[in-house]
Amino acid sequence: MSGSGTVVKAVVVPSAPLLLAEYAAAGDPAPALTAACTGAVEWLVQRRPPLVHVLTSPPTGEERANGAPDLGPRVAEHLLRRAGFAGEVVAGARPGEQVETVLVVADGSARRGEKAPGHLDERSFAFDAAVEEALMLADSAALESLDVRLGAELLARGVPALQALGALDLPVEQVDLDYAGDPFGVQYWVVRWQCVL
Amino acid sequence: MTLLLGRHEFPDDATLMMAIVNRTPDSFYDRGATWAEDQAFDRVGLVVEQGAEIVDIGGIKAAPGVEVDAAEEIRRVASFVARVRSAYPSLVISVDTWRAEVARVVCAEGADVLNDAWGGADPGLPEVAAQAGAALVCTHTGGVVPRTRPHRIEYADLMASVLADTVAYADRAVAAGVDRRSVLIDPAHDFGKNTHHSLEVTRRLGEMVATGWPVLVSLSNKDFVGETLDLPVGERLTGTLAATAVAALHGARVYRVHEVVETRQVVDMVNTIAGRRPPARAVRGLA
Repeated sequence: MSGSGTVVKAVVVPSAPLLLAEYAAAGDPAPALTAACTGAVEWLVQRRPPLVHVLTSPPTGEERANGAPDLGPRVAEHLLRRAGFAGEVVAGARPGEQVETVLVVADGSARRGEKAPGHLDERSFAFDAAVEEALMLADSAALESLDVRLGAELLARGVPALQALGALDLPVEQVDLDYAGDPFGVQYWVVRWQCVL
Repeated sequence: MTLLLGRHEFPDDATLMMAIVNRTPDSFYDRGATWAEDQAFDRVGLVVEQGAEIVDIGGIKAAPGVEVDAAEEIRRVASFVARVRSAYPSLVISVDTWRAEVARVVCAEGADVLNDAWGGADPGLPEVAAQAGAALVCTHTGGVVPRTRPHRIEYADLMASVLADTVAYADRAVAAGVDRRSVLIDPAHDFGKNTHHSLEVTRRLGEMVATGWPVLVSLSNKDFVGETLDLPVGERLTGTLAATAVAALHGARVYRVHEVVETRQVVDMVNTIAGRRPPARAVRGLA
C-alpha cells in the first residue's frame, strides 16, 4: 500500500446486447437491469476520470465468423457514453497495473433454464454461485482461477474478463451488488467495488 | 408532419386508427347494425377499447339510396357526436359529411375532423373547418356528384388527377384558414374509380405521401378488394389487410377501418419492418 489516497473503482456489468441502443424496443425488457447498469456506470465515472480500463472477453467463434464488432467493448462504450464519460477508453489492463477506474463486461452462464439461449445445464447454478461469491468477497484468486473450459461450455461470456479483474488484485474495501438475476436464462450481475490506495 | 386533429395533437411518427361508426340503416358493411343510437354508442366503446384514436361517424351511406337531407343528417349525427364527446373527451371525433351546413352543427357539438369523402362537393366546408378549428380530410373523387357510383369514369392520368385535386383542395383549406397541421389527403378508393384505378392508387400511394401532406386511406372491405379477390362483403378482411400493408409501407398515416385490432397489428408490423417503429419487445438473441 502506497497510502496515496487514490480511490479505485471497478464495476461489473453484463454484455447483453439488449442494453445497446441499436437493439432498443419500445418497452425495455429488463428495466431493473438497465437502471442498475446506468447507476453503477454513472457512479464509476462520477469524478470524471481521464481514462477507463475496460475488461471484456474475446468474441466467440460465431461472432468472429460473422464479422460483427466485439460485443463487450460496444456495451462498455455505450454505457460509458450514456453516463457522460468523454475520456479515453483503454482496452484491458496488465496484471498488477495500477488502475483507478475499471469497467468489466461479463456474464455468467447462458444455460440456466429450458428457455435459456443455451437450454438448461444444471452445472450453471453452482458455477454462477461460485462467481457471485468471488465477486461479493472480491476474491481475486477465486476469479483468476475460474474454470475457463466449464465457463465456455456454459456459454458464460464473462470468464476471461473476470480473470483479468482478478489479476489486478485490487484491495477492495467495499462491495455493492446492485443486480443479480437471470430474467432470460443468462446470469447477469451489476457489482460495484471500491477501495482507497 | 405533426397532426392536429381538433383538440388533439399527434407526433409525426404516429399512425392512427379511424374506426367507422355508421348512424345509417343501410351502409354496405354493417347493414344497419349501429342504426340504433345505443348500438352505435356501444360500438364507440368497443373501438375505443380496441385502441382506435379516431371514430368516423357517418349519417349517410356512400352509395345511392334513400335521399337524406341535411336536416335528417343532422338529426342522425349531431346529438350522437355530443354524446360521444361527453363520454370520451380524449377521443378524436370525425364526421363523414360533405355538407357545410351539417359540418357547422357537428363541430359545435364537439367534432374534431370533417371527413369530406366527396372531395369538396360543397365549397363552404373549408371555411367551416377553419372557423371551428377542425381538421379536414381532402379526398379525390374525380369530380363526381355525391352518392353516385362510378360509371365508365376514365382518367388521362389517374395519379396526376389524384395529386392535383387533393393538393389543390389541401391548399384551398389552408387558404381558408385551416391549420396546416390539420389537413389530410385521401385518394378515396372506389370513389370515382373503378377497381383498376383503386389498385393503381394503392400501388402508387407513395406519390401522395411524397407531397408532404399526411395521407388517410379508406380501404376497409371495399369493392376493389372484393372484385380483386372475387369475394363478397364479409369475406374481404384478408384482402383489406393486404392493401393496408401496402399503404403502410408507403407511409399512410390514418386508416379508416371496420376492424381496428387487425388493422393496427398490420400497420404496426409493416412500420416496424420499414424501420419507422421499434419492436414492442426485443429479447430474442439479445439476452
